Amino acid sequence: MKRFWTTFRYTFRWFRGQILGWGLGIAALGLLIVAFYDVFGERQADFMKMIESYPPEFLAFFGTDPSGVVSPEGYLGMYAFSFLPIIIGFFAVLAGSNLIAGDEERGRLDLVIAHPVGRTAFFLGRLIAFVGATISILFIGWLGFCVLLNNSSLGITWTEMALPFISSFTQALIYGALALLLSMLLPTRNLASIISGLVMVLGYVLSSMASLNENLEAIAKLFPYTYFQGSEAFTNLNLAWLFTLLGISILMVLLSWWRFVRRDIRLSGEGSFHLHLPFKTQHKAA
Amino acid sequence: MRNPNSTTQKSEFAIEVRDLTKSYGKTQALRGIDLGVRQGEIFGFLGPNGAGKTTTIRCLLDMIRPDAGSIRIFGINPQLDPVAVQMLAGYLPGEVQYFENMTAEHQLRFYADMRNGHADWKYVQKLAERLSLNMKQAIKNQSKGNKQKIGVIQALMHHPKLLLLDEPTSGLDPLMQQEVLAMLREANTAGATIFFSSHIMSEVESLAERVAIIRVGEIVETAETSILTGCSIRRVTVRLKCSVNIQRLENLPGVVVLPGSDETSFTLQVTGDMEQVVKVLGDYPILDLETEHPSLEETFLSYYQK
Repeated sequence: MKRFWTTFRYTFRWFRGQILGWGLGIAALGLLIVAFYDVFGERQADFMKMIESYPPEFLAFFGTDPSGVVSPEGYLGMYAFSFLPIIIGFFAVLAGSNLIAGDEERGRLDLVIAHPVGRTAFFLGRLIAFVGATISILFIGWLGFCVLLNNSSLGITWTEMALPFISSFTQALIYGALALLLSMLLPTRNLASIISGLVMVLGYVLSSMASLNENLEAIAKLFPYTYFQGSEAFTNLNLAWLFTLLGISILMVLLSWWRFVRRDIRLSGEGSFHLHLPFKTQHKAA
Repeated sequence: MRNPNSTTQKSEFAIEVRDLTKSYGKTQALRGIDLGVRQGEIFGFLGPNGAGKTTTIRCLLDMIRPDAGSIRIFGINPQLDPVAVQMLAGYLPGEVQYFENMTAEHQLRFYADMRNGHADWKYVQKLAERLSLNMKQAIKNQSKGNKQKIGVIQALMHHPKLLLLDEPTSGLDPLMQQEVLAMLREANTAGATIFFSSHIMSEVESLAERVAIIRVGEIVETAETSILTGCSIRRVTVRLKCSVNIQRLENLPGVVVLPGSDETSFTLQVTGDMEQVVKVLGDYPILDLETEHPSLEETFLSYYQK
């Protein structure tokens, strides 16, 4: 337990800057969006005219139709929640791929793991620190969205506002877990980031475009973004989706752990930065 | 009866390696290595770059998994109980990398924490003082030599029973090299077994009690340093009053006449016994005869020229 705790403590401390940066960024966005809602209400007719002039393909990326945008749910969906999972997703992809492979590529893991920590305790310490950092970022962001709620005509409670953030958390978790798993399997951390980032962005594009083209729906269902709930979470948070995403994330984390405890710690110059197949024959313990 | 599957077995050896093999794809890094390092011994591991020194050391700490063979550290199998081995060992990698924004002190405290605080901080400060290391300076601003000093300190900070050092004096100036070697001798006097790799022959010669030479993943020689440097090869320079039949000397087993020799003045390289050479030379009036023990470097090179 102590070995896990030491790794967690140091990793979480290294996340401090990112927690503040990403968290305050989302909070600032929330403050602005909530503050501007009443101005938006006053100039509703002008906004409607502007929105109706947008092509439907453009509006599809904001997850709304022109008639819905005047409601608090439609407004928040369009200006905040449609891209919240992408913002937190970028953090998750970068942090997930860097979680272990980053230090490994920089040659630091070699000495750290030579200390009596144990690979499982080390992995868990880093993973929990990542989860803690993601929760902290979303918590700061949620506070930013809530601070002005009581003075706004949005009519949304603090608890209701937390629901899209819970949905965003499962999105961050799945992208982070994917990046972590790929960083355990692929030769470089960058490659893991790029592929995970592509899955995230492609999911966003396909899910958005699926509202215009029914043929894309089946493909879009394969991507996590489809199961993100922004404003829809206010009234009907889909727990089945949440737990499915959580389950897949846990599965990917378990595969990452399984790979990490079995494989060589890579060191530049040993010729060991090769593609690591997940089901490669296990080395014999003599 | 010895149970090969048990984690811990009592042993006179600090390190026992049997038939260790490791490949990276098509490259065979280790080809059946056998090693035995006795408890309390200073053991040098010699070899050029890419011979398999680092791979062997990293296998001992379970950072890389061998394809076959067995390893025991104080009787413990590092693949079954790596934490137990890591608690007993202090390790210095060949190319040590740190968290660059930390100061030397923070980095060392981090390593102490990774050992659950099992580090002697007064000893750390003493070592830092001896090595003239500024503990308050950020690592990114430290020189390569200073980074190496931090590595040496972290390896010694918990008074380990076993030191696994991959080129411990790399990047240090000659004065600091001597200081580090003195620290290692002190650790050995206090009971630590030291296994270190190097390609600095003078360092191995002055520190190691025994030496293993590794070539392309195979141990080609394991011997006491004094035997390796003292007995195996001699250089004999002879000056005679009259000519000698060089062919007679060349025909002797283990004798090579070195280039630049003539019939009255010549240099021989003699491997093994000198008796036959002395018998032949006894037939001639000798003006001068000089024998030289080769350095470890020459012995080392002789293995690579085979």
